[in-house]
Amino acid sequence: MNSVDASEHYELGATDLPPSLLTIVIDTNPHAWALLEDSLPLSKAIANILVFINAHLACNYANEVAVVASHTQKAAWLYPSHNAPRNRSDHEGDVVMNGATDTTTPETNKYRPFRLVEEQVTRNLKEIMDSTTADDLRGNMSTMLAGALTLALSHTNRRTLAWAEEHGGANTEDAAAEGNGNGSTATNRYSASNEDERLQSRILVVSVSGSIDAAHQYIPVMNSIFACQRLSIPIDVCKLSGDAVFLQQASDATKGVYMALAEPRGLLQYLMMAFLPDQRSRRHLVLPTRVDVDFRAACFCHRRVVDVGFVCSICLSIFCEPPPGSDCMTCGTHLDIGDNAKPALLPRRKKKKKRVNGASGTGTPMSTPTPGP
Amino acid sequence: MADSDEEYVGDVTEDEDDLQVTRGDNPRAKRKQRGGAEWELSRTWETLVEGADGTINSTVEGLLEAGKRKRLLKDTTPLQRGIIRHLILILDLSQSMSEKDLRPTRYLLTLRYAQEFVREFFEQNPISQLGVLGLRDGLALRVSDMSGNPTEHLTAIQALKTQDPKGLPSLQNGLEMARGALFHTPSHGTREVLFIYGSLLSSDPGDIHQTIDTLISDKIRVGIVGLAAQVAICRELCTRTNGGDETAYGVALNEQHFRELMMDVTTPPAAYSQKESSSSLLMMGFPSRTVESNPSLCACHSKPSRGGYLCSRCNSKVCNLPAECPSCGLTLILSTHLARSYHHLFPLINWVEVPWRRASRSSACFACGLSFPSVPLEDHWQMAENNTKGMSVSSRYECTACRNHFCIDCDLFAHEVVHNCPGCQSKSTPTRSDVANPPSGGMDITV
Amino acid sequence: MASATSRPLEYLEGLPGTTFYKLYQQPSTALAIFRRMLPDLAKCFVMALLYLKDPLPTADLEVWVNSESKKERDNALSILGRLHILSTTLTSENVRAYMVTNPFAASLRQALMGAEDSHSFGVFSQAPEHNLISIADLDEYARRQWEGVMGYMVGTSALSGQRDAVNLSKGVKQLLQAGHLVEIRGNRVDITKDGFGFVLQDVNTQVWHILILYVESAEAIGMDSVEVLSFLFLLSSLELGSSYDKSHMTPNQLRTLTDLADFGIVYQEDPDATRFYPTRLATTLTSDSSALSNPVTGSLTGPAGPSGGAGSGFIIIETNYRLYAYTSSPLQISLISLFTNLKYRFPNLVTGKITRQSVRRAIEMGITADQIISYLLSHAHPQLRKHSAAQSSGKGVPASVLPPTVTDQIRLWQLERDRLRATAGFLFKDFTSLTEYQAPCQYAAEIGVLVWKSDRKRMFFVTRHEQVAAFLRSQKVGGK
Repeated sequence: MNSVDASEHYELGATDLPPSLLTIVIDTNPHAWALLEDSLPLSKAIANILVFINAHLACNYANEVAVVASHTQKAAWLYPSHNAPRNRSDHEGDVVMNGATDTTTPETNKYRPFRLVEEQVTRNLKEIMDSTTADDLRGNMSTMLAGALTLALSHTNRRTLAWAEEHGGANTEDAAAEGNGNGSTATNRYSASNEDERLQSRILVVSVSGSIDAAHQYIPVMNSIFACQRLSIPIDVCKLSGDAVFLQQASDATKGVYMALAEPRGLLQYLMMAFLPDQRSRRHLVLPTRVDVDFRAACFCHRRVVDVGFVCSICLSIFCEPPPGSDCMTCGTHLDIGDNAKPALLPRRKKKKKRVNGASGTGTPMSTPTPGP
Repeated sequence: MADSDEEYVGDVTEDEDDLQVTRGDNPRAKRKQRGGAEWELSRTWETLVEGADGTINSTVEGLLEAGKRKRLLKDTTPLQRGIIRHLILILDLSQSMSEKDLRPTRYLLTLRYAQEFVREFFEQNPISQLGVLGLRDGLALRVSDMSGNPTEHLTAIQALKTQDPKGLPSLQNGLEMARGALFHTPSHGTREVLFIYGSLLSSDPGDIHQTIDTLISDKIRVGIVGLAAQVAICRELCTRTNGGDETAYGVALNEQHFRELMMDVTTPPAAYSQKESSSSLLMMGFPSRTVESNPSLCACHSKPSRGGYLCSRCNSKVCNLPAECPSCGLTLILSTHLARSYHHLFPLINWVEVPWRRASRSSACFACGLSFPSVPLEDHWQMAENNTKGMSVSSRYECTACRNHFCIDCDLFAHEVVHNCPGCQSKSTPTRSDVANPPSGGMDITV
Repeated sequence: MASATSRPLEYLEGLPGTTFYKLYQQPSTALAIFRRMLPDLAKCFVMALLYLKDPLPTADLEVWVNSESKKERDNALSILGRLHILSTTLTSENVRAYMVTNPFAASLRQALMGAEDSHSFGVFSQAPEHNLISIADLDEYARRQWEGVMGYMVGTSALSGQRDAVNLSKGVKQLLQAGHLVEIRGNRVDITKDGFGFVLQDVNTQVWHILILYVESAEAIGMDSVEVLSFLFLLSSLELGSSYDKSHMTPNQLRTLTDLADFGIVYQEDPDATRFYPTRLATTLTSDSSALSNPVTGSLTGPAGPSGGAGSGFIIIETNYRLYAYTSSPLQISLISLFTNLKYRFPNLVTGKITRQSVRRAIEMGITADQIISYLLSHAHPQLRKHSAAQSSGKGVPASVLPPTVTDQIRLWQLERDRLRATAGFLFKDFTSLTEYQAPCQYAAEIGVLVWKSDRKRMFFVTRHEQVAAFLRSQKVGGK
């Protein structure tokens, strides 16, 4: 007879769960897609992804979606098209922003939000493809993954803030406190609020390029991954061809799903089965993750993959053997013994300069000087 | 100021401000704290200027924005930093911690922040070691041993919550125990002690000045966050162990400030001179994860588990990284752990405010698409300019490398969380992406 | 949300399988039911199975779900079964397997991918708009109509002259009467117990309640309930602020449209106009109650008039049982006065106190404590919400929006009177052995239908029996 017991503090409002935001990063490197032409051409893949987007939107009235293209030369928004106004005349841009495309005949066999996403994605993608010149492509096998991830994160951040503001969550409180000039650190603002009461965001990377060329983006990509980890945004990776080590690490670090598709033709089914469930449902599901993530590092000197390496204590560069002359090849610091070839940048010098600037500044309440000694 | 209520605290801080002004030293602290002080001292109502529409909305928004922005303008010179740190966190668990001037009590708040500190510390310094001590009844007691595993510290600190603070603290005992714990740490890492100190006294068994001398010779830096008022011996301790730099000692004004002072310590300290920390080449193992069909015991906890990492030298199984191999002593680490520290070494450059003159170039934030206020007529520029320092009149912030404009939220987000510039990363010319994360000399790494 | 979903869900579950078959012909219906009626996990199942060629063996599905989440899995499967979305078949290897039933699967695929001209998502009006209707106008219209209905029920229309603008049609009044929400005695309108419960619900639930009444009564006036129902789902997928063409509609749909206009669910300039506009009441039908964004609830429940759009809630309750309501709407004031002793009234504020007496009075009228609490909760002032959010951010558990002392006390006051609650259902008894009893009992608990059990007497009581019976049968088969 528990149901009659009034002592339970149950809350009706607590069951209202926040919607989720899905950001899809599509690798649009034409080279890589050309290799896939036989099994899964880009157009078909996009069609599949659009159905997947619709399925995501169908799951909840308030679910949101964003699509970023990670192209060879740039990363750009496909949906929503933020930057459109800058490229066009203002008037036209506004029309695009409102999503009211007057030119197309109203097609009503499709749920309207679905149609809006579809139109924008296909149009923007076409624009990108058209603007790609042969020059851009020559010998360029890379993709702007770091940029795409950073854009995706910025958008997520904006939507999370906006959502929290609309719903009077704890986040606004924090933001307001910060405004008062004695702000807390960023972590408080970004991670302190209850996870279930936030906008649930996740990022899906549909990747086709190999990892070799992404090496110069290593630090920015890693930075994005750590940001995701910190904000508990899972990065799901759907790998159609090739294998990218840092995407493996990304999904591993952020507890996302990693799948390398054996059969790219079945993209839609893979998407629906493995990538559609949001964080809340994922708690109940057993999802494919990679167990044997490659964590080995490559040394900076010979690019050998090493099990045991030497790390410079100053700049954390990895070497497979002690570098010649015991000088770090990255920062030039002389390691282990003897004098230093190059002096460290001393913070003291910087301090003196500041003292001059700061002397006339207002007082600080930080230290409480006792008139004593 | 044991029984001080909030008003009283306010008064005290104003006095302190005056003192500080006359002394005129301590520039770093000044820069950091200026906002807080102004908030208390400055006549905020005077900065309110009615906008063209007769409301003060614009000014209030400006102030909010300036507050956000203030913390961003940090130095981005790439300094050598002590990435490998050894830090002992010493918590005051004495009677004075039961004061309620910080809500709910100093004790509980300290424990809560200490847990956040531990989490943040390992977030920022994944290859560092931390230990926690407590000061109670005149003794120093070990809360958790030096280790690189945050969960051990967190549970140990959590366990303290059920106990009550009592007795008097002893700085000297705490320092001696910390010194013992740091004594064996390798010289390439930093040796640091952070006190959270709520008392105004220290009951020591011997001469604390001698302890300070030994600390200096052992190259241990001490930082203190005071909760009550400044104490002379604390200041001396910090000043002397930090080579004359007084900023390691801070007294918390309120809960926010307390947190801020603690979290500042999580950023790796700039390496001073080469003498203090000799750089060296460390041997590290990069194990790969394995999953076995049958559970086996791990070498670190002797618990059966199926997943784990095999030491690359001796093949012992450890269950968590980073760790030191229990059998051969090799430091085991993931390459991602190393990468996590790179943003300290290669910080993102500060973005600059955009005057109206250049504002017309953009109408929306490059990263998130938030639309900016439109550019007013030229005669109104001046009026809007004198609003608040540190904020952009046009609400736009420009990355000097890629020349894109961003909103304040993206500015904050880019500098504090992602450490990437969305603009620079979205354009492919490699020279530009280098500018965003400056000296990338040999940093193009495949992992 | 529990209360909001349950009513349409219950109604749908009561429909025969053939009705579902007809309903699912429309993509918009399939989409709306998918979105609105299913728990998260069930949505995942449907989507995963939707594009599979072959049915998914039950064992595979079980492996897919975490072993700790068995309860959620069974609950999801049970709802899917009840809504005739998922069915079990045998694969060629004679393995039991799940598949999405056909009209539903086809329609949902159509909804996702777009398809031939089914006009399932409405047809835009092509005629030039001479008289633009803004979204604000629509909101205002919806608010006025809906408040008119509420006012009619509570009887405020007699009190204040401002309600004259709303003329309720005879159909509306009949519907309310048919639903036993009001009783008409001579010239006087008396609200019933059900009616009290109704007016205290949040708007989304109210709309559903009315719509289901409408569908139920549709048969009586010679309309096909399936057609009406699928038209309602179609409405829910339309876009706010656009006008739609009426020329494609059947006479029955047109008739429904006129009736719905009386409630403010759709807007048309006059019944003969060639176009109609859905209002926010319609377009948010299939969203969660929380997603029913503030403009409507705010303007509907908040202070009357266009200026009252700020925020969704206006009631502040303190732990000392004092209540402050920032409203000047006679409707809201009379609602609050149902369970509160009002003390003062200011131009935009009324204050009062919740007392034992006032709550008992309300309970005697047939209002339940849960209704009072959910009313207070759904109209809680943003300040209260903010406060609770701030409280909860420190701890893991979300703090309650209303002061717990007040909610508990209201429940206790109700318990003073009300010590019995009837639950309709089925009793399983006379099990021969304890093990035979335990297995179905446990199963019933897992799918969430178990109400009561007694291990000693080997009896248990469930709200619905179909699956338990099926389970028992499968047990028998398995045993042999």
